[in-house]
Amino acid sequence: MARFFVLNWGILLILVAWEGWVAANDFNPIVMPSPQGVFMDMISNPGIYVENTSVTLFVAAVGLAGGLAVGTGLAILTWSSPLLSGIVSPTAVLFSSVPVVSLIPIIARILGYNMATEIAIVVIITFFPSFVFTTAGLRDLPHGSQDLFSVLGASRRATLRRLALPAAVPNMAIALRLAAAHAILAAMIAEFLMGTTGLGYLFAVTKQEFLTERAFGTSVVATAISVAAFLATSLLERRIRARFT
Amino acid sequence: MPGASSRLIAIACGTAGLAGFFALWQVIGHYQLAGLSWPPLTAVLQYLFDPDRHALFLRAIDATLRSTIAGYLIGALTGIGLASIAYTLPMLQRGSDRFAAVVNSIPSIALGPIFLILISREATPAGVASIHVFFIVYVSMNSGLASTSQAHEDLFSALGSSRLKRFLRLNFPSAVPAIASGLRLSWPAALIGAIIGEWFGAPRGIGILIINSMQNFQINLLWSAVLLAAMASLFFFGMLTLVERAAYRRFR
Repeated sequence: MARFFVLNWGILLILVAWEGWVAANDFNPIVMPSPQGVFMDMISNPGIYVENTSVTLFVAAVGLAGGLAVGTGLAILTWSSPLLSGIVSPTAVLFSSVPVVSLIPIIARILGYNMATEIAIVVIITFFPSFVFTTAGLRDLPHGSQDLFSVLGASRRATLRRLALPAAVPNMAIALRLAAAHAILAAMIAEFLMGTTGLGYLFAVTKQEFLTERAFGTSVVATAISVAAFLATSLLERRIRARFT
Repeated sequence: MPGASSRLIAIACGTAGLAGFFALWQVIGHYQLAGLSWPPLTAVLQYLFDPDRHALFLRAIDATLRSTIAGYLIGALTGIGLASIAYTLPMLQRGSDRFAAVVNSIPSIALGPIFLILISREATPAGVASIHVFFIVYVSMNSGLASTSQAHEDLFSALGSSRLKRFLRLNFPSAVPAIASGLRLSWPAALIGAIIGEWFGAPRGIGILIINSMQNFQINLLWSAVLLAAMASLFFFGMLTLVERAAYRRFR
């Protein structure tokens, strides 16, 4: 019990403040529902929530896998060619400091309003952390190991497989943790803007129809899956770090 | 000097890469390889720098930057404040980590309506921006505080300094470089927050231009607004990089 409080006092504080704030202002549930009302809506309509959550999770997961694959692939490509690295890296760094969410409307306009576009958006947004962190990891080799490999006459390919890639794994885990949270957020914003499917769509529709309790329920579910993704990937990162360093 | 020449080669390669990127943008737009929604770079620049639209763009970027900076400062101060409290009162640490992670996981499109009721339409962009900044600064300050050297820690204990004094004289200064990194990384996040916050009925701003032009199929306006947001992001990001370097030189 004490342990529960030590871990979760912040979340309990949010819930108590929320409930107290709604009660003190006597808000109409259409304006601002109470945590109780939101919870009731969630347990009485599980079907709607489960359906849209699985769509969003699908989009986020497929997009995340694609983004990590493309990011890692390009990082390996630039690792094997210093010239290519010199050409591509500054542009990639430039992009990683641009507000990528503002690109979502452009991508939506170019590719059309459908689920493939949502996945493409998640790929593009999760690509950047993956590329930046994997590139850094491939270069951050244990001191002297590079010399050992060249003295023993290892080919470039063998060096990549046996030295650089294993050395980059902890960094890839960091990229996964950062990108997983981005993936769910990006999927939701894309769904919200295009009004196609999933939690973002559910949020947009229920807000317009003044089903505020459901809109908040959608946010609670989205927060919960983001936190779960964050905790799971943090745990994975710690495991991988312990195994590879 | 081999250092200088390799630096020159790096700059040449980087410039070539950027030039290639802009050329690709131009070619795709010119030949409409990606359809009507991808205009050539020159058309976007022409639209953006047309004197007739100066007032429109200036008003929008002014509003967005004001919200971003307000949210940035509030978020940074809250992040530093909570990290300091959690460090000096260790029993709160794990709970406050989780609190920060949960607050950061609330989807920004859901934060919009909450701030709309909590504060006002005008202040919502700053509110959403502050949440993003808060988390990044909080996390970086935590890792900065954890990097305090144990030998210094022991020296302070041996000399019998109070917890507060040790925090102010030792832990906080060792965390400054990490805080500076967090401040740099959180700028684009702040801008994203402000833009999303504007979608919920702000009177003006880049976010408003983006969402309206997306819905009304004003392609040049859409690309111009996004380009303007990107330029504002890069400018401040560059400035903050200089601040970060200064912090590393002074505090390391």
